[in-house]
Amino acid sequence: MQMVSLKRGVSQNMGFATAVLLLLVLYLTYNMMHPRGFSSAVAIQNSNETVAIAFVAMAQTLPVLLGGLDLSVGAVMTLTNCVASLLLNGSPAQILLGMGLTLLTGTMFGLMNGLIVVYGRIQPIIATLATGAIAMGLALLIRPQPGGNVDDDLGWALTNSVWDLADTYGFADGGDAWWLRPFADIPVPFLLVLFVAIFVWLPFRRSVTGRTVYAIGSAEGAAYMSGLPINRAKIAAFTLGGFFAACGGLYLAIQTSSGNADIQQAGAYTLNSIAAVVLGGTSLLGGTGGAIGSLIGAMILRVISFYFRILDIDPLLQPLIEGLVLLTAVSFGAFRTLRVKNQLDLFR
Amino acid sequence: MKTLLKLTTALSALVLSANMALAGPEVVSGPGANPECFAPWSETTKFFKWDAKEGPYRIAVVNGFVGNTWRIQMIKTAKAYAEDPSIKDKIKEFKVVSTGTDAPAQLGAIEDFINQGYDAIITIAVSPEGFDRVIRLADKNDVVIVPFDNVLDTDKVMQVNEDQLAMGRAYATHVLKELAAIGKTSGKVLEVRGLAGNSVDRDRSIGINEVLDESGGNWERVSVVGNWDDGTAQKVVADAIAVHGEFDAVLAQGGTTGVVQALLDAEHPMIPVSGEAENGFRKLMAANADKGLKGISIGQSPGLVAISMKAAISALEGNVMPQLISVPLPMATYDELEDGKNYWSDLPDNFFTVNEFPPCDVNISGPAIMSQSEADVK
Repeated sequence: MQMVSLKRGVSQNMGFATAVLLLLVLYLTYNMMHPRGFSSAVAIQNSNETVAIAFVAMAQTLPVLLGGLDLSVGAVMTLTNCVASLLLNGSPAQILLGMGLTLLTGTMFGLMNGLIVVYGRIQPIIATLATGAIAMGLALLIRPQPGGNVDDDLGWALTNSVWDLADTYGFADGGDAWWLRPFADIPVPFLLVLFVAIFVWLPFRRSVTGRTVYAIGSAEGAAYMSGLPINRAKIAAFTLGGFFAACGGLYLAIQTSSGNADIQQAGAYTLNSIAAVVLGGTSLLGGTGGAIGSLIGAMILRVISFYFRILDIDPLLQPLIEGLVLLTAVSFGAFRTLRVKNQLDLFR
Repeated sequence: MKTLLKLTTALSALVLSANMALAGPEVVSGPGANPECFAPWSETTKFFKWDAKEGPYRIAVVNGFVGNTWRIQMIKTAKAYAEDPSIKDKIKEFKVVSTGTDAPAQLGAIEDFINQGYDAIITIAVSPEGFDRVIRLADKNDVVIVPFDNVLDTDKVMQVNEDQLAMGRAYATHVLKELAAIGKTSGKVLEVRGLAGNSVDRDRSIGINEVLDESGGNWERVSVVGNWDDGTAQKVVADAIAVHGEFDAVLAQGGTTGVVQALLDAEHPMIPVSGEAENGFRKLMAANADKGLKGISIGQSPGLVAISMKAAISALEGNVMPQLISVPLPMATYDELEDGKNYWSDLPDNFFTVNEFPPCDVNISGPAIMSQSEADVK
């Protein structure tokens, strides 16, 4: 019985299952080839590099599920990164308040996106193109030059293993307590992403609002006729997207101890987030997929570039090879077209 | 509320913490090794000394943005220099990666190379801030990190650059000298600036304007933004000529081939022009010097990567090194140009001519770099 439900789960989430498999193969191979593979140091480095893009990809997932695109996610990440670089210092209470305000900034920005899309009746892609430029402008206003003074210990503790976190803040006997041993080598950034995914994304997905987001992406007309709260779901989706982007910006500030209103970087993150969403099995047409898939997609995106550091590949050929691998990976998702019984299925 | 309280208590312990034992370089007094090549930036520059390591070394170059001629030439120079007989034996493994303009990816790549046990990492930073964590890790693992070109706002690592302020001053000094030689001590000059918000643009412009101020002449200044790009510079200079008429000199800091091309297209009289070290600019200067294009060409050299590699190896060998290394400005005036020596009429316009630094024993000529095919170096 369980076998059957597992089988059905996989076949209904083909894209997601392929992504997980691909990630496992790529990541295990990478670790086997790395001189210090399967060590905590490598895992910490890898997860640090992945957090920002993972959060931004999760942010992108929600508008994509609605059948749209959000071109402001990278800019919102940059804006919140700059906000955080101003606020994350002082006493512990001030730091916590700063984190709260940073997340609030992104959430409010997402809410604004949602309101514009719903009540302004503007296509998400155009609305967010404009609001993205606004976010970038605000970021430049806050931080005309890169800089900032994020608390050093906070940066060190949250970008390392659980042991270092305990060691820095002196709890659990400085990390040597017996009950901490099983978790001591896990990277903190990995736990942070997992925490947000489990305690923010999963409850949202299960709620009526969350299910409405999927329904809108599948067939907005049918969702409307079924009496689902369309406007509320759209606004909630963009707001949650803003929150995820703010998580990315906050982590970036903690990781780099600074803020940088880098326009190119914001653009690169927006584009990469779309790639990660697709890699994770979410359809650009909306209605299927999820933020966990995008998380996996972001990891795949990063693992591909990890290979350039352990293999001898000509530096000027690397972008070409990265593009080819990416294209191949995305094509895995298209295999379903080979198996459809009725071509009309493709136009679903 | 209770969890918040707990978290707050945990965080307040932060004041008591930070008992990390850090290794890393020792701050010593100068002078450093090979001072003709590794010149300290100023008199207050600190000196570093790492514990000597046995060679040969594993060295990685972590580039950020790739996709303009300068960066590509820099990568080719790095590969060519790694094969140079003078240092080939000292390098066991050499790797170059480009991460794009993505700070986490660049930091990740640096950390990855530290994890892999590399001895030195050369980098062009995508941001002047944010490297605290990797510097801490590098010090812990006795890895030498050398940012160059776009350097960091920190004095905790050894860095290599050219003095951009001095470059701006040299541009203006030469142009004013040429103007004085034809009897002009005041007049109208056009400044062509670089990428806005960039510290290199800022410093070069400050240098240029300082010299103009100090000269005491009455200089009417027109400023346009050329983004260091030939196309953009050509357009804005053409516009400036159309609006303001004739200029007595142009003080450009990049995109200079385009600047001179705009002057030629507008049939503007040839005037002194300062500019970067693009091959195209030098070609045009050589052809038009006798008509009055008595310019100066000073460039930020892609060869800085070679000096950074050399500095990293010197540091790994246990030599005393300045914290901030000022590489001498490679300059050529109109009367010093010689085809096949400091410009190449058979190479493309966007090739950067300055690659050789004799005091550093870095002698990779332009054609040698351009002939460096992709298949040559593994």
